[in-house]
Amino acid sequence: MSKQRHKSVLDRESAPKPLLSKQHSRRKFLIKAGGALAAGAFGAVPLRGYAADPVNIGALYPTTGSMAQIGVGCVAAAKLAVEMINEAGGIKSLGGAKLNLIISDVQSDTTVTRTETDRLITGNKLSAIHGCFASALTLIASEVCERAKVPIITGSSSDQLNKGHKFTFTPFARASQFARAQLQMSKLVSDQPKVAVIFENTAFGTSTSNGLKELAPGEGVEIVMFEPYSAGFTDAGPLINKVKASGANALFSVSYLNDLILIVRTVKQVGLNVAINGGSGGFVIPDFYKNVGKLAEGLQGIAHWNHDMSPDCQKVNEAYKKSTGDFLFEYAGGLVAQTFMLADALERAASADPQKVRETLSTLEISSGYAAMAPGGKVKFGPDGKNVYSRPVGVQWQNGDLASVFPKEDARAPLIKS
Amino acid sequence: MLETVAQAVINGLLIGGIYALVSIGVTLIFGVVKIVNFAQGEFVMIGMYISYFLATYFGVDPIVSLLVSMPALFVIGVLVQHFLIRRVLGPNDMPQIFLTFALSLLLLNLALLLFSANYRTVHTSYSDEALHFGGLYIPEAKLIAFVVAMALSGALWAFLHATDLGKAMRAAAQNRDVATLMGINSNRVFCVAFGAALALAGAAGSLLMPFYSAYPFVGQVFVLMAFVAVVLGTLGNVLGALVASLMMGVAESLGIQFVGADSGLIVVFAMLLLTLAFKPQGLGGGRMR
Amino acid sequence: MGKDADKDADNTGKWQMVALATLGMILLLLPQLVSNGFALDIFIRILLFSFLGVAWNLMGGYAKQLSLGHAAYFGLGAYTSTIMQIDFDISPWIGMVAGGFVAMLASLPVGWLCFRLRGPYFTIATLATAQALMLIFLKFRDFAWGAEGTTIPNLGSSPLMMQFETKASYYYVVLGLLVLGLVITWRIERSWMGYYLVAIGEDEDAAEAIGVNAPRIKRHIYMISAFLTALAGTFYVQYIYFIDPATAFSFNISIEAALVSIVGGIGTLWGPVVGTVLLETTSALLQSWLGSSTGGIQLTVYSLILMAIILWRPTGLMGLFNDVWQRYLDRRPARVRTSP
Repeated sequence: MSKQRHKSVLDRESAPKPLLSKQHSRRKFLIKAGGALAAGAFGAVPLRGYAADPVNIGALYPTTGSMAQIGVGCVAAAKLAVEMINEAGGIKSLGGAKLNLIISDVQSDTTVTRTETDRLITGNKLSAIHGCFASALTLIASEVCERAKVPIITGSSSDQLNKGHKFTFTPFARASQFARAQLQMSKLVSDQPKVAVIFENTAFGTSTSNGLKELAPGEGVEIVMFEPYSAGFTDAGPLINKVKASGANALFSVSYLNDLILIVRTVKQVGLNVAINGGSGGFVIPDFYKNVGKLAEGLQGIAHWNHDMSPDCQKVNEAYKKSTGDFLFEYAGGLVAQTFMLADALERAASADPQKVRETLSTLEISSGYAAMAPGGKVKFGPDGKNVYSRPVGVQWQNGDLASVFPKEDARAPLIKS
Repeated sequence: MLETVAQAVINGLLIGGIYALVSIGVTLIFGVVKIVNFAQGEFVMIGMYISYFLATYFGVDPIVSLLVSMPALFVIGVLVQHFLIRRVLGPNDMPQIFLTFALSLLLLNLALLLFSANYRTVHTSYSDEALHFGGLYIPEAKLIAFVVAMALSGALWAFLHATDLGKAMRAAAQNRDVATLMGINSNRVFCVAFGAALALAGAAGSLLMPFYSAYPFVGQVFVLMAFVAVVLGTLGNVLGALVASLMMGVAESLGIQFVGADSGLIVVFAMLLLTLAFKPQGLGGGRMR
Repeated sequence: MGKDADKDADNTGKWQMVALATLGMILLLLPQLVSNGFALDIFIRILLFSFLGVAWNLMGGYAKQLSLGHAAYFGLGAYTSTIMQIDFDISPWIGMVAGGFVAMLASLPVGWLCFRLRGPYFTIATLATAQALMLIFLKFRDFAWGAEGTTIPNLGSSPLMMQFETKASYYYVVLGLLVLGLVITWRIERSWMGYYLVAIGEDEDAAEAIGVNAPRIKRHIYMISAFLTALAGTFYVQYIYFIDPATAFSFNISIEAALVSIVGGIGTLWGPVVGTVLLETTSALLQSWLGSSTGGIQLTVYSLILMAIILWRPTGLMGLFNDVWQRYLDRRPARVRTSP
């Protein structure tokens, strides 16, 4: 009968002596008490007033080098987005965990991007990353993220980004979509558009221009000149001279800021009467207007995000304007939306583990709130990481600000014809 | 067709004038002080920023601001030569090259630190205007820049040949030791040479402002062309640098027009390498002038 | 006195061996002791740029042919192995050697063109060839992806294709390359070629006057230098999994190769290594302290340090070490130093 009883019961009954000496048992008690306190401190027993571990988000932008102006703006927007999320209570499913933004400067350089992405991932426990503005830089970061199995969300437009990458998510329009929209916009100003296409010869320019070449016949647009150029030239004169000789009545330039400034000014000097569509990139940032002035009025471009798309966008725009003095430009606004998308994924994953975040990001489907700030207002990722609802929005410089003018459902202001 | 060619030539000559201002400075320094100044582009940048600030805060036209940028850079040149370059002058030319390279890196990043990477533009009444002749156009700002650049080059040439100090510089360039024996203070001559070269760089910067935006990296764009022009025109030969710069501007322009918009530099480099293959001392005949 | 001097000489030799062996042990064990990915990355960079410096030093340090166009061979090596891997599925190990041969071949016409020039002409001509190659690769996209470049396909862990999952493996590969470069330099230094190189470096005309076939020696050393530089190029591409003309033919590579040798000590065996350790460590430290603050500050400080070093010790820091070594450690009778 005694054999059926649990050992501890037997011991207690039969042993008159205590199992442990007084010293020993006091020590044991202290250890247990200390353990309980420690467990409490680490959040095993969530008490009110104790913050959960912050969730680390990496942000990779070029704040020095040739793209520095845009990088600085992006970092300001990234900080704003994280502030907004944290003030609203952080990630509730993780006990109100705050987002912790870890920023790194990729110096507008491909090698630095590679090492910085690596450094950020190996030096911190990241749940996700966003960056890097220029397609060439983002391509490298996404390779590193793919191998390190950390999800990266980005507004960079190169179609290459989604090829074979399971950890790369692109909620906004792709370069090929930009191309189609640009072609359609050219028909708004002329019935027989003859387009000269000039583009800088890295990933950004090549992706977009390839799209233009392929889609032009289908859209009824004739391309009379198609030339890559080396970015950072000393003089746009020879290039514009060529444009003039081609007989084009529209000019599509896929360029970064410094070249765009020269191109627009040179077109004016030559007295060339062409409708300029500056595409995306350096064209849709406040600095373009600051440097080109009135010459920018009426020029059209394409963006994957604009601050007049919805009341939410305008709210964020106001907040950004207050802290930086400029309007919220395309890439920066897009990344605010992306931060909210990450927050949404974290909420549903209830975990900071990058693989789990990747899973929930891939099933993201959202149509309201700051995470849905996109043309069309809906985001849902397909199996290739692209947003099935993505489309670009045509914009125009009007009175020193960018107004969305195309397509009709996204137009917030009428198109000004010059 | 002829019109296109003519326009391409005009474009090339105009930008070649700017290349000339930068490259003459490099060749002057090389001829007299015998070092290759990698930081020349950064001094152009400094000239641009000086003009930008004068234009934005005091409303001074960039061309007028030459009166400030040139003397300022002259002084900087004298200081650089006296305190930095003098220390590494010796038979071994490697420290010199890397000193000027480090200086270039320093100036560039200081500019980035102080002025941020934002582009700074100045708009004048003639910034975006052009003169039209028949089917050809000549941008006003570039024309002014070209004329002033030629005038300054001419002034330098006159200085080198007609004044005592200029002749002393040419003497020191030809043979430093003999010049010293003849009573020429080589350090003073070097300081003047350096100062003059940097003053020309500053002038280039001021002349560029009406039609080119200033930013920390702007110097790098022009310095490569300047170096090619200097080698093409023979190191140390001022006239050679001038002619070579103009030729390169035209070659680049024609290359972009007829070979491909991304081929301007290739044509220039082809020109350089071909010249070096057949005339290793450059087109200037190998003489310092 | 004589016997003591001999014993001192033996002891010095033994000290050198001990020092070398200790260094070797530390280097071999480092990846096992350090697991921080960022630190390993720095070590890999140090080893790689030391190797690059050693390759450059053969020509630029000993023979004083200041080339600022070594990026040309770096890029050729990188592109050769990448093209062979992506288009023909050939292992980068083979591609690396093939790249070396391509570079050697390329160094012949470049040498023919450039060696006829002296001093700064030579330097600028080499610079121009590297830039020209970059432009060519930027423009012609048919054989090499043009300006966009390409990434190396992700093969996971594939040692035969020079792809490893751990940084430590990359570390050992580049350590091997550095050892190769150092051994080659050591052998050349002590051979007849070494003497000819130094002679040419000191005064080429005088060397020719006494019968040294300068053009031939320069050609040979250029080929060796180009070969080694190309190996570095292949490794680099495999490590960062990305290649484009701007990266592969970067002027920064050319400058770095020369700079580390000059700062460390041109024409010496360990100079490039010393220079790289100093410069890369400084650069990495500055990046982590100042990298995320205002743009430009970290390179401003770096360039000030660089200028200070050049002004203080124009011939490089090895001279400093040699002085210390001779004064305190080397008891042998003072030797006349022939190279600066």
